[in-house]
Amino acid sequence: MGEKIDTRQLLVVRRIIYLLVALAVIVPYLVKLPLPFAPLEDSRKVFDRVEALPAGSHVLISMDFDPSAEAELRPMANALLAHCFQKGLIPVVMTNWNTGLTLVDGICKEAAGKAGKISGKDWVFLGFRPGFTDLIVNMGENLKGAFTQDYYGKSTQGMGALAGVASLKNIDLIVNVAAGSTVEAWIAYAADRHKIPFAAGTTAVMAPDMYPWLNSGQMAGLLGGLRGAADYELLVRQPGDAAKGMQVQSVSHVLLIVLIVAANIRFFVGRRPAKRGA
Amino acid sequence: MESPEQPPLRRTIESGVMIALLAAFLVVSVLRHNLFGGPAHVKDSIGVIVAAALTLVMYSFLYRDNPMFKSAENLYVGVALGYQAVITWRESLRPEIFDAIVAAPTPEAMREALIHRSVPILLGFLLLTRLSRKYSWLSRYTYALMIGWGAGLGIVLTIDTYILQQLEAAAKPLQDGMLSGGAAAFSWPWWCDAGAVAGAVAVLVGTVCVLFYFFFSVRHGKAGSAVSKVGIWFLMISFGASYGYTVMGRLSLLIGRVRFLMFEWLKTSP
Repeated sequence: MGEKIDTRQLLVVRRIIYLLVALAVIVPYLVKLPLPFAPLEDSRKVFDRVEALPAGSHVLISMDFDPSAEAELRPMANALLAHCFQKGLIPVVMTNWNTGLTLVDGICKEAAGKAGKISGKDWVFLGFRPGFTDLIVNMGENLKGAFTQDYYGKSTQGMGALAGVASLKNIDLIVNVAAGSTVEAWIAYAADRHKIPFAAGTTAVMAPDMYPWLNSGQMAGLLGGLRGAADYELLVRQPGDAAKGMQVQSVSHVLLIVLIVAANIRFFVGRRPAKRGA
Repeated sequence: MESPEQPPLRRTIESGVMIALLAAFLVVSVLRHNLFGGPAHVKDSIGVIVAAALTLVMYSFLYRDNPMFKSAENLYVGVALGYQAVITWRESLRPEIFDAIVAAPTPEAMREALIHRSVPILLGFLLLTRLSRKYSWLSRYTYALMIGWGAGLGIVLTIDTYILQQLEAAAKPLQDGMLSGGAAAFSWPWWCDAGAVAGAVAVLVGTVCVLFYFFFSVRHGKAGSAVSKVGIWFLMISFGASYGYTVMGRLSLLIGRVRFLMFEWLKTSP
């Protein structure tokens, strides 16, 4: 037990673990398991905030991610847009990640197509502009000056979807679906500065860092990772990829917990004789 | 890890398995996507098949580093860089500089664009002088402007957002729970408010102990060490939560790829 670690044995164990994780992800897709889940309070707060808006309100959704975070954030963005369209809200979509442009375009078109909504009238995709924080500051002063055209080349001046929106101050809610550090900038330069309600949907890796904002009330609600996306899908009664992924997620987590416990037992049992010999 | 020098028999077996897997991949792709069904099928399916192949090659690293994985990795970096370059031209340089100045519809429009854009363009070019040892000092003008602008704009907002509002939030629940909510703590159901107060006390104790742990100016005595240890426990719990979320995030990415392979490449019904 107190023997030197055999690297070959470790390699075999590692490959077995990879295989087990692969099975834990594939099998639940093939076999239906009774693993229900209820939406978290933080996710419900985002839903309630959107739900409380009257029809015709403008919701700015900044989708700051690219295909590397698609698995977690696309279902979230889909559910958010579906909710906005259900409620008759006007999503004003943009992105601060130029590598995510075509992805966000696809998300918008898919959601709008399902809801039968028209670009420029019921929703708008402003696209990308360089600058990030400077852009947010600029939008706080003059939104149509910051984005003179939408992604499809239509002038924002006189656009129906932006009627009554001169700057960020006329936006009723900002939601940042993010895979990077844009959340803090949105809070500092838009939400806190202009007192605009703000919510975020982030990758799971980022979610723990969001709790101080949630605790202080600077963030109205939080969708954290695939779980947050699944919660939102349930709340808008449109279970999709994320809700289906929760069963897989649960099985994988059980496997990982078992592996962590087993590895710790092996570690402590293996350490004891070495101590005695010392 | 393993030595790069593999026994010949093992190398032969691995090569055989690799060829068999490649053949299986091609057969499955052709059958599932009906590649002999006409150009329309090919057009729709080729992207999915290439993406599936690259996904599987990426996961082949879990077995061992191999030339196919390296090629896919380099391809990924190259494609990402190329895509970024095209997008930067299409979304920034072309509309802001080329269309506005070079392809301006009238001389007046060009003059106006030059008036508004020449200073930013000049500042942008100055950044490129970083490439020259002799003239790199010129880039400092742009950096000075950027840092000055960023600091002037950010300091006030950052102090408010990151410090004042967070400080207020760290103190407020305790005040609310114990003073204004204190009366409600004894009303039915009292444990709801008691829980909030306990949570606020935990935040307060955690904040003070963690800050004390990072206070290195004074030697920590016996009592100070105890407070530091409590701080370390809070930090460990926080790292544990971050680790748990990170595992969840990584699994979500795996789930995304498996979903793609099962439902888009293999076309199994969900």
